[in-house]
Amino acid sequence: MSEKKVILPGDKVNTRGSYTYKVGEQNYSSIYGILTKNEGREKLIPLSGKYIPSEGDLIVGVIKEAKFGGAVVDINSPYSAFLPTRREYREGDVVFAKIFEVDEVKSTKLGDERQLYQGEIIEISPVRVPRVIGKKNSMLELLKQKTGCNLFIGRNGRIWIKGDNVILLKKAILKIEKEAHTTGLTNKITKFLDEELTKEIKIKNKELK
Amino acid sequence: MSGNKELELFKNGKRLDGRKFDELRDLKITAGVLKRADGSCLLEWGKNKVLAAVYGPRECLPRHEQNPLKARIKYRYNMAPFSVEDRKRPGPDRRSIEISKISQEAFEKVIFTNFFPKASIDIFVEILQADAGTRCAALTAASVAVADAGVPMKDLIVGIAAGKAGDEVILDLGKEEDNFGQADMPMGIVPTTGEVVLMQMDGDFSKQEFDKANELIKKAVPVIYEKQRQALREKYEKQQKAIEEDLE
Repeated sequence: MSEKKVILPGDKVNTRGSYTYKVGEQNYSSIYGILTKNEGREKLIPLSGKYIPSEGDLIVGVIKEAKFGGAVVDINSPYSAFLPTRREYREGDVVFAKIFEVDEVKSTKLGDERQLYQGEIIEISPVRVPRVIGKKNSMLELLKQKTGCNLFIGRNGRIWIKGDNVILLKKAILKIEKEAHTTGLTNKITKFLDEELTKEIKIKNKELK
Repeated sequence: MSGNKELELFKNGKRLDGRKFDELRDLKITAGVLKRADGSCLLEWGKNKVLAAVYGPRECLPRHEQNPLKARIKYRYNMAPFSVEDRKRPGPDRRSIEISKISQEAFEKVIFTNFFPKASIDIFVEILQADAGTRCAALTAASVAVADAGVPMKDLIVGIAAGKAGDEVILDLGKEEDNFGQADMPMGIVPTTGEVVLMQMDGDFSKQEFDKANELIKKAVPVIYEKQRQALREKYEKQQKAIEEDLE
């Protein structure tokens, strides 16, 4: 089992990465987060923070403004993105797109977009998105399979959902967000979904009688 | 700031509120008290009560204030009209504009602003109840709120004042000591490096007195720092506990 420790800005850590800074030979944390030790390897996960676009990320965006040769997209971040396209989007349209380019002042270009019709969007903390996807998409597959809903998860903390059992899916996603820092989450969610599904079947059977 | 001999500031080697010369007032910090803010903190320090909220990094508006090299930090120190005995006229005045400016400059030293070009990080501090040393309390609360918001920073900032009243150098002045004292020196310190990011002085110290005041401050910094850290740790632990109870 892995060890967990709360880390605050200025604490000494033995890992390197985007959440640390170096003074001399020593690395320090720059963030309020959790340090997990797993088989001697330390990993620093932030507890909060905004989404900052990075190349290759898949995001769920909302069209802010249609412009000549493209559209300005709100990507739930301090920076908005530009989507060059010939299609005419309207304000409020939802797209699932890939971040193609981010320059030094964080001007962001999108591509490979796909419009998402109807459905709804839920927003969670961007730092907790990896738990909703799971290792090798395990959580995503689980959610899809158990609820039969269609969902697109954006790295920016936006999740687009559509289907018959959206209420249960929403509950499950918010549960994952809340319990993102606990272990054995996939098993917990499996159990949670099974319980809720059997409850629903029971209610339906009663109604039929 | 002349000494008022009529008011007795010390009795039997103790201060008006019974503290020793190098003793802090009671300090209580709670992190994450506001749901809509990205980071927040409620701090009670003696009779001071301070609420800090942090939003961002977010898009910097108006646009001409954007800096393509780094994020802008906006710090607003504001006293509530009911925070002091006589009603304070609402809105920024000369004093609060000055405090906002120097506190903003203090935060520019610890926050990694170069990570967020063109963005702004907005820090709001409301003084709900004032009893001397509010700029230090505001700084202490704001740094907890900034960390809570997940903004990358080198370290927290500790705000603490020392001063002179009744010819004695004392730590963390109370209201009477501030009003009838001879000097007041608020400081903002980065605990791990000992860097001074904010320093002002009102009244006068001799060199020896200054050194003594500095020494008192240095001793108090780790105590306040630990309280700040404890507040952030408690926030996480409380959340985890709530989840565990939920399971049972």
